[in-house]
Amino acid sequence: MDREELAAKRVLREMRSARRSRLVEQLDAMELLYRVYVVLMVGGFALALIAGALNDAEVGVRGIEALGDDGPAWLGTGVALAVLAGLRSGARGGPLAIEAAEVQYVLLAPVDRAASLRAPALRQLRGALLAGIVIGAVAGNFAFRRLPGSPLEWILSLALFCAAVPLCTLTAALLASGRRLSPVIATAAGVGLLAWSLADAALGSMTSPATMLGILATLPLQDGHWLLAAVGVAFFVALGAVGLFSIGGLSLEAARRRANLAAQLRFSASVQDVRTVILLRRQLASEHPRRRPWARLRGQGRFPVWRRGWHSFLRWPPARAVRALAAGVAAGALAAGAWSGTTPLAAVAGLALLVAALDLVEPLAQETDHPTRRDLLPVRQDSLIRRHLVAPVVVLGIVTLAGIVTAAALGSPRTAIGVGAVMLLPTAIALICCAALSATHDPYAFISSSLYMLSPNLSYVQTGIPIAVSIAAISAPLLAARMAAQQGVSAVGAAALMEIFVLAGAAAMIWWLGRRVVERAPVQS
Amino acid sequence: MSAAHRPGSAPAPVLMARGLGRSYDGFEALSSFDLDVRPGESISLVGPNGAGKTTFFTIAAGLLEASAGSLSVVGSDPGSIEARRAVSYLPDTPVFYEDLSLGEHLEYVGGLHGVADGGTRATRLLERLGMDGWSDSLPSEFSHGMRQKASIALALVRPFAVLLADEPFDGLDPPSRDVLFELLGEARETGAAVLVSTHRPDVVAASSRCVGLRDGRLSYDGPPDAEALSLSSARPA
Repeated sequence: MDREELAAKRVLREMRSARRSRLVEQLDAMELLYRVYVVLMVGGFALALIAGALNDAEVGVRGIEALGDDGPAWLGTGVALAVLAGLRSGARGGPLAIEAAEVQYVLLAPVDRAASLRAPALRQLRGALLAGIVIGAVAGNFAFRRLPGSPLEWILSLALFCAAVPLCTLTAALLASGRRLSPVIATAAGVGLLAWSLADAALGSMTSPATMLGILATLPLQDGHWLLAAVGVAFFVALGAVGLFSIGGLSLEAARRRANLAAQLRFSASVQDVRTVILLRRQLASEHPRRRPWARLRGQGRFPVWRRGWHSFLRWPPARAVRALAAGVAAGALAAGAWSGTTPLAAVAGLALLVAALDLVEPLAQETDHPTRRDLLPVRQDSLIRRHLVAPVVVLGIVTLAGIVTAAALGSPRTAIGVGAVMLLPTAIALICCAALSATHDPYAFISSSLYMLSPNLSYVQTGIPIAVSIAAISAPLLAARMAAQQGVSAVGAAALMEIFVLAGAAAMIWWLGRRVVERAPVQS
Repeated sequence: MSAAHRPGSAPAPVLMARGLGRSYDGFEALSSFDLDVRPGESISLVGPNGAGKTTFFTIAAGLLEASAGSLSVVGSDPGSIEARRAVSYLPDTPVFYEDLSLGEHLEYVGGLHGVADGGTRATRLLERLGMDGWSDSLPSEFSHGMRQKASIALALVRPFAVLLADEPFDGLDPPSRDVLFELLGEARETGAAVLVSTHRPDVVAASSRCVGLRDGRLSYDGPPDAEALSLSSARPA
């Protein structure tokens, strides 16, 4: 390294340090501490309350044995899926999203790129590590109540595992990005690891590095598998080290594209503009509609809005289709987990289906993206919005069906099919309504409203309502059915009763959607 | 002594493109593009919108990868340390750190390129561009034209052998345009090659050579005469 390069590195270090200091100076330390204090107090209290109130039964001996024996492989499969996602993201230039000015002035300067990119990469890894630890600790707080082992053991074990998963994902992405792996090779490597972990799950072995990492999550149930877990950790640490050292090879073209998108994404996230966040995330992932549809609709139908929806779905890129289906399968598995006693999983099932629903309301969201075009159509605005819900409900029904099949495979087929059949349509309708509310929410309209003057924090309520309703739409009928089954009453009947409330909620949301769009239209229809 | 330094022979090219191409999902933005640029040359790159001018500049700057052919800058691959040292790229859309003042930008960029007298050089540049009172201001306080001038200062504050300026005259008032003509002329006098993409006939007329692009292909390479001037305002095919 010549003197000029050393001097440039010093300039880079000094400027970054100065910018950091300036940022810290601008922060209101007391305000920040107060916020952290409130979040910790409220979060901790809510967590303790929910965990205690759920009072889930302890897992039986067979369940514990199964979790100890098969858990690592299945959790490893999850790790492998995350690594696959990381590799694919890296092949598209992720995970770093640096400033456009940093690309223009630092990456085009005669400075070692790996050295200049290591700091932002480490910052991203640190953030992921912290988030993973918090999520793992929360999960550990639920786990120790149902499984043998001390609270400390479970909290530590799950915190370690949940910290390791995002780290593996990010380091895989760094590696793929720095080494310029092509999407095909990155996908093949990820699928290879996934297949290895699935083979472990099928054969009951622990040979894949991802499975070994899965051992971390069940450490209190493992005897003498510490070493295997350490091997898994060492494998991914080595992968991370290689990733960090090769990051200088990243594509500047991708870095520039991501820099522009990430800046917009941060702004949209800060104003809770869900629709823009979704659109930008798709662009970051290079997720574009197919030029040639999977199939072409025949004739000129009588139902243009219904056909418009299908035209959109038939151009879905494979990644989006796989994601929707995976969300359905995950929701089914989570519902089965909730049925067998881990109540909080019902909430996660709701969130999984909401992810699929947000993709499905794309045709409706596009009407909202272009209100002028929509307002000039010779149809009633509220009727148009309602008609846009039909095709997504049908597709979400198919996705939910995949979940029911999964739940049937994992638990009692008869109960799963019975309860699933009752839940299928109302769940699809409610979730699509929630997604439509999210996608058509205009954060800027809220900012200019009197509610914002009352408290800007009320925006979180507006953003949170569709999420809360999605969770309730799955959890309420599912848990009611579980309770009925435990008491020897008809589970299907209990679920059906709850679905009346779900459908009533969906009707209210449909009314609200129509009203909102009519209110915003410049020409009342 | 190498051929490049032999008296009477042309100096070796500082930038050399051979069969250069770039496609986006099947669309050829640049195709079979050949170009030699020698030290001290002033080249105007002309052509209608979408002709491939920016694509060529971003490939030469190392921001974009070619899908065909080759390009070398001072004998190195674009994007290599040597090439980064040699090429200064002035983008068509100015890029700034939102939390750094103009003065801090100049100090930073100068420092990254090992400029010893960065402060003096920056002050002189800002004076000439009429931005001397704005050194402590943040880019968010600048008008469109001022952002362009700040971007010009950032491209010129560091040493370079090749300057790639993408429509640098856009948004400038007439006095600033004159200053930019002077600055580009001075850069050329120091032996740097200056490539400017433009739609302005006066910029074409002031250059020593004109290169025309159309639909991603080389359509003209010669003196900035009447034919070249007509290319600068050509309609897309």
